[in-house]
Amino acid sequence: MVNIKINGQSIQVVSGKTILQAAHAHDIEIPTLCYHKDLNPTGNCRMCMVEVEGGKFLQAACVTPVWEGMDIRTHSEKVAKDRKMTLELMLANHPQDCITCDVSGECELQDLAYEYKASAPEWGSKGTRYPVDSDPNPFIRVDMNRCILCRRCISACAEIQVRDVWGVAKRGFDEVIVAGAGTTLLEARCESCGQCVAYCPTGALSNKMNYGMARAHQVKKVTTTCSYCGVGCQFDLLVKNDKIIGVQSNPNAPANGMALCVKGRYGYDYVHHPERLTKPRARRYLLEGKDKNDIRDSIRDTRKSNTELSNIESPWDWVETEWDIALDIVAKKFIEIRNNFGADSLGFLTSAKCTNEENYLMNKLARQVVGTNNIDHCARL
Amino acid sequence: MSNSMDDVAQQAKAFFIIGSNTTEQHPVFGTLLRRAVIFRGAKLVVADPRKIDITDFATLHLRQRPGTDIPLINGLMHIIFEKGWEDKTFIEERTENFAEFKTTVMNYPPEKASEITGIPVEKLYEAAEILATNSPMAVIWAMGITQHIVGVRNVIDLANLQMLLGNMGKPGGGVNPLRGQNNVQGACDMGGLPNVFPAYQPVTSPDVIEKFAKAWGLDPGPQTVDDKTSSIVHGLSSKVGMTVTEMMPGILEGKTRALYILGEDPVMSDPDTKHIRKCLEVIDFLLLQEIFPSETSVYADVLLPGVSFAEKTGTFTNTERRVQMVRQAIPTQGDARNDWWITSQIAKRILAGTPNRVQNEAPYSGWEYRNASEVMSEINALTPSYGGITHARLEAGERLHWPCPTLDHPGTPILHTKQFTRGKGKFMPIDHAPPAEKPDDDYPMLLSTGRVLYHWHGGQMTRRAKGLMQVYGEALVEVNPDDAVKLGVNGKTHVRITSRRGSIKAQAWVTDRVPPGMVYANFHFPDASANELTHATLDPVAKIPEYKITAVKVELV
Amino acid sequence: MTNKKILYKPVDPEIEKLAQLHGGTHEAALEVLKDLSADHKLNQTTITETARVLHLPAHAVHGLATFYSMLSLEERKKVLRVCDGPVCWLKRASFQSSVISGQSSVIGEWEKQMPDYTVERTSCLGLCDRVPAILVEDEQAGPVEIQDANKVCEGWRGVTTDYSKPRKGEVRVMIALIGKIDPDSIDDALSHGIYDGLKKALQSEPTVVLAEVESSGLQGRGGAGFPVGRKWRFVASEMKTPRYIICNADESEPLIFKDRVLMDTNPHQLLEGMIVAGYICGASEAWIYIRGEYEGQARRLERAIELAEAKNFLGENILESGFSFKIHVHRGAGAYICGEETALIESLEGKRGEPRLRPPYPPTYGFRGQPTAVNNVESFCAVPHIVKNGAEWWRSLTDDPTPGTKVYMVLGHVKNPGLFEAPFGLTLRQIINDFGSGMMKGSTFNFALCGGAAGTIVDDSLLDIPIDFASSQKGISLGAGAFLICDQTVSPIAVLRELLHFFTVESCGKCTPCRVGTWRSLEILNRMVSGQGRQGDTDELKTLAALMQDTSFCGLGQSVAIPMKSVLTHFGTEFAKAEKQLVIASPKGEAIS
Repeated sequence: MVNIKINGQSIQVVSGKTILQAAHAHDIEIPTLCYHKDLNPTGNCRMCMVEVEGGKFLQAACVTPVWEGMDIRTHSEKVAKDRKMTLELMLANHPQDCITCDVSGECELQDLAYEYKASAPEWGSKGTRYPVDSDPNPFIRVDMNRCILCRRCISACAEIQVRDVWGVAKRGFDEVIVAGAGTTLLEARCESCGQCVAYCPTGALSNKMNYGMARAHQVKKVTTTCSYCGVGCQFDLLVKNDKIIGVQSNPNAPANGMALCVKGRYGYDYVHHPERLTKPRARRYLLEGKDKNDIRDSIRDTRKSNTELSNIESPWDWVETEWDIALDIVAKKFIEIRNNFGADSLGFLTSAKCTNEENYLMNKLARQVVGTNNIDHCARL
Repeated sequence: MSNSMDDVAQQAKAFFIIGSNTTEQHPVFGTLLRRAVIFRGAKLVVADPRKIDITDFATLHLRQRPGTDIPLINGLMHIIFEKGWEDKTFIEERTENFAEFKTTVMNYPPEKASEITGIPVEKLYEAAEILATNSPMAVIWAMGITQHIVGVRNVIDLANLQMLLGNMGKPGGGVNPLRGQNNVQGACDMGGLPNVFPAYQPVTSPDVIEKFAKAWGLDPGPQTVDDKTSSIVHGLSSKVGMTVTEMMPGILEGKTRALYILGEDPVMSDPDTKHIRKCLEVIDFLLLQEIFPSETSVYADVLLPGVSFAEKTGTFTNTERRVQMVRQAIPTQGDARNDWWITSQIAKRILAGTPNRVQNEAPYSGWEYRNASEVMSEINALTPSYGGITHARLEAGERLHWPCPTLDHPGTPILHTKQFTRGKGKFMPIDHAPPAEKPDDDYPMLLSTGRVLYHWHGGQMTRRAKGLMQVYGEALVEVNPDDAVKLGVNGKTHVRITSRRGSIKAQAWVTDRVPPGMVYANFHFPDASANELTHATLDPVAKIPEYKITAVKVELV
Repeated sequence: MTNKKILYKPVDPEIEKLAQLHGGTHEAALEVLKDLSADHKLNQTTITETARVLHLPAHAVHGLATFYSMLSLEERKKVLRVCDGPVCWLKRASFQSSVISGQSSVIGEWEKQMPDYTVERTSCLGLCDRVPAILVEDEQAGPVEIQDANKVCEGWRGVTTDYSKPRKGEVRVMIALIGKIDPDSIDDALSHGIYDGLKKALQSEPTVVLAEVESSGLQGRGGAGFPVGRKWRFVASEMKTPRYIICNADESEPLIFKDRVLMDTNPHQLLEGMIVAGYICGASEAWIYIRGEYEGQARRLERAIELAEAKNFLGENILESGFSFKIHVHRGAGAYICGEETALIESLEGKRGEPRLRPPYPPTYGFRGQPTAVNNVESFCAVPHIVKNGAEWWRSLTDDPTPGTKVYMVLGHVKNPGLFEAPFGLTLRQIINDFGSGMMKGSTFNFALCGGAAGTIVDDSLLDIPIDFASSQKGISLGAGAFLICDQTVSPIAVLRELLHFFTVESCGKCTPCRVGTWRSLEILNRMVSGQGRQGDTDELKTLAALMQDTSFCGLGQSVAIPMKSVLTHFGTEFAKAEKQLVIASPKGEAIS
């Protein structure tokens, strides 16, 4: 343990911790941009500079370990002035388009500029250096004009996804973040997981699928569990006007943290696909009270063309109907078949996509209501 | 999984991935493993005929011939014996039947294992050393191990390996099958299997039958038929039911007359599509509960609109037995209804037509659920391993892995720490058996099947996700460059793949991911689904089809 | 895995071969790229292939290819690099060569004269004693004017400077053998006592030799003056092996060329110093990281290493001592930042030359994560003499608190510019009058840039301060020992503009203040020198300087403030005039890009 002082407050810190960690442990706020708790600190952005008594230079809190007797000021006049100036250097080359920017309201640069009253100086490129929406990736929108070169995308790709797609090209003022050898993301072996988007503090990387669809304060976030594989990632569904407009990492997700895969993060739009079934359907012959065995021939003729509703007036047509009618038909058929052929002539395929509760009920239906153990699901497939 | 994903990723000194394309099929777990290798220096041995993406991170990649996992595992264990790397204490204290098992392993000297698997002897030694000398070591597998006629034996042999090395019941060790579907674990846990009630309580056990009969308001004891009205069946069946791979062919035999399919697409996901279609064509009554019209809905008599995960509340259990909340984010679409509601309605209507079967005074006889949480309360009461897993606890932020028998139990991230479920771990002697289908002059190549990163199973969801289709919009068949030269395939051309059962046409992806003589196809796209080609030969115990090995011929179209 | 990636392509055998040639590991990346670039084959495809062969992410290789100035993805012919350093600028600007006039740029003129070449600007070539200088492919040339183009095409490379005759007052130790030996002959070296220090060292325990170096008080000659012995003690006391020695020969700071002369005239002296360092630190292997523009010197070192190996001064069991040591030459590819020791290590590991976080420092976590001593060429060159003659002798060379001698460079408007060796504690006046033979005819002293590009700009008020590593406290820096003397025709604002141009081009871009601060400062200075100064410019420069000094990630950004702050202190009135557009700063030497 070492004894240090932050803003006059004496605190004890485990040696080896950084100034930032020490400050966070005592609820002392130090602004950061390139720092993220999940990623190895790089010390690039210089927002977290603090004054250390006796030091020639300011120290970057995110990477400087504490030492015995360290006396730190996190918000001295000098520190505040330098932070403001650093922000202005970033804003000089950042577009002044918060008013139309998709991430306005959840942009860390915007928040800090507001806090430090930093506005864009009259000089600089103001975000006119790169093509807007420059990558054809269907999920990730790239606008390097908004990039502040914090490199969190690079770290996220290298350390979270371990795919190493993003990197730095050129140097100095020309420095720019590129994918692979200056190619498109997919050519650079991007898996479209969107981790880079999740960690980007600005609008440089954003989600294409919901671009322009909602501001941060307009969405409701609902934490849920992914419906694809068995890893059980959790994330927040972004909901606006009763529609899913996106998926956002939830840092508290137990199995996955901020990480998601391409399906989990971007494979949600099927939910609102126009082909969704929204009304019960029954074959015309059922509604007309006919016997399936009497219409086998016409089934064979029409089968190929009848995934959709049709009106060719075949007994095998799909007809939309009311719940009561459909459910009664089902119950009647099940009873009839059980009466005729026994309970074991019925089979139940429950679903590995459905919830535990639903699976339990399928099990109860087969066993309690029908009386068969013919229940299975696709675990084997 | 015997251990949790986080535990394996954080604690294991070495991983043995066999038959799991982890980075594509369990992508986020795949990234945890990549992180462990790159940032923690964990060793990784991948055994897979294909050069899947995770092999980029492997310390060693073993490319065994398809269907030779047992000689590979036995060969490794032979080397472990030779070098004296086995965990003698663990074997002594925690296991039984060791001698018989060892005798069998001794029939697999490395030279023989090498001959069968095609893996050079020195690589077997290298692999055995990595796996045995880096402890704890975690074995990770998926369908590449189980979808064989020897699937169960493969699994048992991996358990043998882990007992031999004393890696069971240890942080960072264990046997870790990765479950495919989001809630395949839960579907098994909840009794979605023909031989067990929820929590794997056997249907053949009189005690269990009595327990459920009491709870559900049925006659205790074995099933009886009411003489007066034969339609009324009393009690619970003690006969093990049919698996999906038996129910389907059972249609043709007249054994299966009606099916209630909840959110599945057997036409896409079951082996030998042509055969499945033939079965479904003649079924008396098919009820399908789905969110989209599917390949299977072509054969359905009634199609009921269920809802997607975004529209429902409940729980999923992931591959590490972690139970997590699913929360409704949007209203149900159109007139679609919650799946639990639909099932309840059907139950109620059948019961209404069969009075006297159920006694209403039993605690869980009824179907009057107001929400999923009430269903969970019933699960808590009847499913010992879920006894303490309530929506309330999960909503309060608790992180629970089953077994979690009581409300004050913290859950169990690692199984078998003190003893195995049956007491001592039993070594089982496992011998090699060749795959069911062998190549011949007419069908000289081997086909393996599986999924790709951008799609999901039968593709009903992902083919309706615009971006995913932009990235991966049609079925690709992996063809080795050497074979491509022989076939005249250049990566822009389509190939026809034909098995003894069917034929598909798909674009070739010329890549050294597959070894010469092997092709790999997926079953995401109806017009080029690999399951047109696969066969329904099953593992005799688990009734899993041998998807991973089909003899095919490949031709340029 | 996408639909676009379905064409199978085996690995390019040529790149596979190059990779194997350079060791086949990821450290080979930069060298493979340099070979590809030299063959004009550097492009997106070869970069991706290189990445594939070396098992690196494509971005890492692309990041290298676009970081180092000697590499180019553009299609090029043979390459002629025109030095844009401040001394060349001063030469061109103040002596107004007849060919350059008006708006025509230097680059354009050279292109016209040498159509077979792609002409590029380059930061200071380290040929400040041969201005104006150019680099023809990898051959140094100077002084070369544009009218010499025909001769250059025929192979003429200008004239090298002769330092064989000491100036009055010089005390020569490290450059004592200039002109007395054939640098490519090890027998010559041996007959003049080179390797005697090594032989002596090998007869004592490493700790004894270390104690000698420590008590000599030798301070690092790269500019920071860190005690050499203390650094080596850190390395020697680390438990981890292998340990490494690195010679920083990336001499890229404008005005500095002493290391080039040291390596060119006496390569064995450097090798000897490094071997002794290796012996002291318990190191097994060493690298000389030499800037890519010093190809001739790199070859000379490679030859010298071969000769030393043949005589068993290098290799296994050196002189039967049981100590084994190897030295490799590693060429940079054009990046000033690689002179920063952690950036140098990154570069040596085949990465972009970006500085590392510190701590940990190289003595504990250096090359390949192992304990590493990084020292300047001149520091190593001093070591054999100290070992041979003893610490006391070294201390006796001067009365100044800083022991030993130093190689100095005096440049600009003095009668006799060039290089000399003398003890510490010289004053600027002595440097100009005693060693530079006074100001040129017609020139009066206006200001001097002291130390190097990252040094102080001082007026005549500091002419009599004795200069050493401590004198920067008094406002005048020693740095690496160079002094650019400017007369009344030169505007300090214009010189500062040149420096900021250099720093802007050479900033690695990692941290915000340096990346944007240098760029913005240059923008202001560009306006000021062209008569478009504005109210507030000076204040903004002050603020930027303070910000860069306070908050930059590494020494590069921090040190940009040194010339800025000092010039604003001494020449505030000039800046005030420029703000009011009262003066157009002269000379108007515009950037040659």
